Amino acid sequence: MTTTATPRPPFDPELDALLSLVGDQLPTLTADTIAEFREAALPVEALVITDDKLEAAGVTRRDLTIPGYEGADIEVSVFARADHTGAGPGIYHVHGGGMITGDRFLGPAAMLPWIADHDAVLVTVEYRLAPEFPDPYPVEDSYAGLVWTAEHADELGVDPARLIIAGASAGGGLAAGTALLARDRKGPALAGQLLICPMLDDRDESASTQQYDTGTWTREFNRVGWDALLGDRRGTDEVSIYAAPARATDLAGLPPAYIDCGSAEVFRDEDVAYATALWQAGVQAELHVWAGGFHGFDMLAPHTAVAQASIAARDNWAARMLGS
Amino acid sequence: MQELVGRLTALDPEASETLKVVAYFDALVASGVGLDGLLRAAAALSGTTAGAQRGSRVIRFDANGRRLGATDDVVPSPERSAGEVRVWLERDGALHANDEMVVERLALAAELLETRRGQDGGLDVALDQQRTVDERSAALSRLRIASHDRIRLIATDVAEPAPGATSTVLPTKYGLLRATVDLSGDLHAKTRVGKGIWARADHAPDSWDAATIAFRLTSDEDPVVDATDLGAMLLLAQAHDPDHPHDDVTRLAACDATQSTVLRALVESESIRSAAAKLGMHHSSVQARHESLTRQLGYDPRTPAGRARYVAAAMLLRLSGDAASAT
Repeated sequence: MTTTATPRPPFDPELDALLSLVGDQLPTLTADTIAEFREAALPVEALVITDDKLEAAGVTRRDLTIPGYEGADIEVSVFARADHTGAGPGIYHVHGGGMITGDRFLGPAAMLPWIADHDAVLVTVEYRLAPEFPDPYPVEDSYAGLVWTAEHADELGVDPARLIIAGASAGGGLAAGTALLARDRKGPALAGQLLICPMLDDRDESASTQQYDTGTWTREFNRVGWDALLGDRRGTDEVSIYAAPARATDLAGLPPAYIDCGSAEVFRDEDVAYATALWQAGVQAELHVWAGGFHGFDMLAPHTAVAQASIAARDNWAARMLGS
Repeated sequence: MQELVGRLTALDPEASETLKVVAYFDALVASGVGLDGLLRAAAALSGTTAGAQRGSRVIRFDANGRRLGATDDVVPSPERSAGEVRVWLERDGALHANDEMVVERLALAAELLETRRGQDGGLDVALDQQRTVDERSAALSRLRIASHDRIRLIATDVAEPAPGATSTVLPTKYGLLRATVDLSGDLHAKTRVGKGIWARADHAPDSWDAATIAFRLTSDEDPVVDATDLGAMLLLAQAHDPDHPHDDVTRLAACDATQSTVLRALVESESIRSAAAKLGMHHSSVQARHESLTRQLGYDPRTPAGRARYVAAAMLLRLSGDAASAT
């Protein structure tokens, strides 16, 4: 590794080794390369949901078209056990991808065991992406999907009192923003919010933002993502708390949260600050900061010790939240 | 679970799977990962359980990185010994293409860990530029070498057995290499050898640095390279940063195979005419290529100064490239 003047927590040794191997090949992101970034292959087998994985887990999938923001058609997929009956816990999933890439099949793979073990039903939403559809499209599509899920709880086999929202990275930020919308519009009640290394703050100011110009999601990538979402509004007073939940000053009345991140990633400080603000507002929150984790370490290197610990902690929370 | 090695190669189609396996274990060793982490990597790379036994203690991890218990019905395939440790994969049925390679690199890395932990890292400390002269001298005395003794280090491939003298395996900027102390000057290895410069023992890191450069310059035609023979070119090689090469190196690297052949003939021949004869090309077309190469390189490779620039750039180019390609 090259030496640097910026002090920062180093990557975990196992993660560092993998990053040194794949770092050169990871796609880079600038304002001009969003199209290429979308096309680039990622070595994140753990994220991708395949028919084989579904069959092994005994889970079925169906695709539906539902009304999104302003009534436009958007897609959702519903995953449930083949033998699902009655009303089980619900997981409303919002995928990651920096606000500019990814689709609804990015992420649910890690939650297949929860569907199988707790007979949960998972709905994952194809919200429209920036920059073609800037703020508020992503968070409003996500909210529209949540409303639809709650309204159709009966036919989905979901117990509306046991519905949680979940997302990673940009999906974590959109999940937090959707939970704020649900609170403020007196929309669907949520039993929990699972925010996996969430992207919450457009202001580009935290210490961790300044420390990580390296890794899988750099400060520069982060600026590109927020610029795509917010355009000239990024960093100004014109940004809503639903687009950038870190800006919310009143977090009272939000559902219990699970927040995790790595100590060696851009999102560390905004994620820790969000958990702290939730506690201060009297909201239950569980926070895990994994030593030496870069952004998405549990997905890129799931075999490493720190990723195993992170996945186990999340599974454990899910069992407490979704188990009967 | 899909084999990690396949995914890594899909990501970087120009690198072979062998290269990825070697580079991954090198990176794990350089990061200071322990035996558990090495086993998790081996399991993930191969998509099957990996295990190790030290004394009566058995450690196993599945392809997802989960720790497994010791059972009596473990069938190691393939397996290797690494000093006091035995390591293996638990491949059910026919071996996959990379299984032997994974276990070989796993064994090397495990042996390196043992060496470092076991003998207080005697030679490792003596060769570590970051340590003080006092620390290095103390490490040398444990090896029964006096600070003022003249020694040299030789570098060989880690996969080859140690040449029979005090030896260790070290991460270098050219990947993992075996370092062996040569006190007599008549140490010989069966395979490719990079010989360091002679130095006072308490300056052993200088000799080791030169040995790694010399090793990097070996080839099938030239299996033994002595850093002493590089003369002042050694200073150039030491200053060379493969990640930020000099423009002369970048321009030379941009030449295609034909251009490289013509260029070499131009530099090594007495005249354009004899270069043309050597290449089996017409005089005028070699003349034209000479002119275009001069423009492309930014210097005339047939002048004495141009020749020197070419020779220096060609050496540095051989030091560049993928760290593992020399093994």
